[in-house]
Amino acid sequence: MNERVIRGRVDQSGALVSADAPLLRLQQRAGAGLGKPLALPHLARLVALSQRLLHDISRPLYAADDHSDIHALVRITPDADGASIEISDWRAHAVTPPHMPPVADEATLGDGWAWECDPQLRLVALGAAGNAPDVPAGWEGRSLSELFELQPDADGRFPVLRALARQSRFDGQIVRAADATMTLSGEALFDAAGRFTGFRGFAAVTDVAPSAVPKAAAAFADPAFGSLPLSDPKFGRRIDGALRGPLSRIIATAETISGQFDGPIRADYARYAGDIAHAGRHLLGLVDDLADLQNIERPGFKAARDDIDLGDLARRAVGLLGMKAEEKGIRISAPSTDDRMPATGEFRRVLQVLLNLLGNAIRYSPNDSQIWIRVDRDGDRAMVTVADQGQGIDAEQQAKVFEKFERLGRTDSGGSGLGLYIARRLARAMDGDLTVDSAPGQGARFTLSLPARDEE
Amino acid sequence: MSESLSFPGIEPPSPALSARLGELADYFAAPAAGRLTEEQRALSLGIARRLVADVAARIDPGVDSAGLWADWLRSGVPSAARLASICFARAEEHRWRTLSAERTVPAPLTHELDEEDPGVEAVGPMTAREQAYLTLRIADRRRFDAYGQPKLAIADLDSEIFRAVLHDVAAWQLAAVSIDTGRAMDLGGAVRTAVEQQSDAPGMTAAAIAYHDAVGDALPDAARAAIAAHDWPALIALAAGAQRRVYADMALAFVTAETAALPSLLAPLQIDRDALAPLEASLAMLPSRAVSDGHGSAAEAGR
Repeated sequence: MNERVIRGRVDQSGALVSADAPLLRLQQRAGAGLGKPLALPHLARLVALSQRLLHDISRPLYAADDHSDIHALVRITPDADGASIEISDWRAHAVTPPHMPPVADEATLGDGWAWECDPQLRLVALGAAGNAPDVPAGWEGRSLSELFELQPDADGRFPVLRALARQSRFDGQIVRAADATMTLSGEALFDAAGRFTGFRGFAAVTDVAPSAVPKAAAAFADPAFGSLPLSDPKFGRRIDGALRGPLSRIIATAETISGQFDGPIRADYARYAGDIAHAGRHLLGLVDDLADLQNIERPGFKAARDDIDLGDLARRAVGLLGMKAEEKGIRISAPSTDDRMPATGEFRRVLQVLLNLLGNAIRYSPNDSQIWIRVDRDGDRAMVTVADQGQGIDAEQQAKVFEKFERLGRTDSGGSGLGLYIARRLARAMDGDLTVDSAPGQGARFTLSLPARDEE
Repeated sequence: MSESLSFPGIEPPSPALSARLGELADYFAAPAAGRLTEEQRALSLGIARRLVADVAARIDPGVDSAGLWADWLRSGVPSAARLASICFARAEEHRWRTLSAERTVPAPLTHELDEEDPGVEAVGPMTAREQAYLTLRIADRRRFDAYGQPKLAIADLDSEIFRAVLHDVAAWQLAAVSIDTGRAMDLGGAVRTAVEQQSDAPGMTAAAIAYHDAVGDALPDAARAAIAAHDWPALIALAAGAQRRVYADMALAFVTAETAALPSLLAPLQIDRDALAPLEASLAMLPSRAVSDGHGSAAEAGR
């Protein structure tokens, strides 16, 4: 019998507004948190019942998280503002053995590396299974994110870091190691005292890249770039791959520190780590730009000719960057849903251009200002214009703003100086153009024009 | 066992007959003693097989270790007596830990998140104790293969046993490959290199002593915490380190100890009797323990 009483409080809407650590942890493992509706179905039903009856109720409580079943006694006391929860005799029963390694079937484990790490993500075990590449020497005690180059998922997140914060299982973390792409999955480990002791999992090989450099030449060439000349298109792809991994690792590690997943640290250190992650993302953006640059400067580069609607694309861009604008109190006046402007161009490339224009407008607009996006048609040209209330660009600067690496003397970490150059190249590759109209103190108007399309 | 195990007139006795007679003679010698269960037999045999494969790979990564083992299963495993004790010790430790983990009811998640918890302390350089614990955990995980099966780490082997197994494997390899002077010299060189490199990673005993020394005055607290967490490798390591004993020997002492003998076994850890309760309960639930009560823990096995 555990004598400790775990307390919590829900408001009238059924949202958990305060909770002792075990209850909060359970709520978080169920995918919610403070200020969110109770995510434990049985408890939520009991709270609702108590509130409806306006009467105290005491019942057994059954809940489960991803590694244990929990049995307890709960007492709920409703009042005018919500209800108080008191849980006693909290008993957790493991549903999976928390200590021992899973004894896997050799046939089903496949090719990959079995691994285990401690709560600080330091590797304590690494072994190859099947026909996986040999594990690297000196892995002992190294950070998981150092050995495996963590790749963000489609949402830009790292499943393993999220799992670390939640102390829960994860899968689908794409990583690169030993010239191979692997998919990392793992189970959270807990000891008999309920303490998180790390992760144990498997890195399944999903793709083995051919060795970048023949072994005989390896001693004489940089392992990332070999002896490729700068003009070789492969060089760009290699530099992209060579930079993307370490940068992803820097961002992942900095975010781990900034998010204080491993425990509390001084606030200024956490901020520094946040700055490092920010700078890393900036560099990653530069790598993206460079990859784009090389792609569009390739002889014969041609964009696809999709049937697009500039009004729709403008609204999508606003949807993607609206939060960023809100942070600065900037209002965006976007085309209404009735504003259609059929055109021809490659959907994702046009969106990329619009995101660049809108991103610049937000970045260089003063707080609490306004940005307008308008669509229009002039003969056979369909146009979308992004106008801001920033400091504007004089005529001399307008001539240079579309040049490579031109940042008009700015030295902040805002951009690479490639965005507008790439945007104009893309516009022209789609038989369109990108122009600017501005004057100092009067903001800037960037207009993307594309071949108009007559709808049937 | 010292007497002839064959019947007069049957010469030579078949290996199967000899084995049966040996088993029967052992039974006659101690009829009340518990016998190996199939699980214990299979675990020990698997550990021996993985050890032989690991040793063979040290000599020649291309060696046909499956063929080697199949041959030895037919003709008998060389150095059987030496291997039996270390494989059995590892198997029993594994069996205990597995069963303990399966039956563990984690303490309530009440364990206050804001309580001191070495696992989630602020980021900073590792203390000597944390480093020693990490090294211990790495050494422990070396005793599992990639599939989670128990094995013996080469670094944990007694050097004489390692050398004997190396020679046995080399002899098999030489016979399998054919008589070739150059090949024999290569194998000899490989064996010498393997012997020299046996301790290229710290084994459990060294890690245990280092952990014990790093814990220092906090030994009783560390031992109590290990028992509460059912962190049996850490507890065995502390006990082995305190008595400067080989980790595997201490592990075997744990799993073969009578309940009444545990306090004296753990006396150097300076923990009170009450703190031993989870350990006693965990060992008591392990069936077929080879406890030194002469009855093979028969009473406990039935639980």
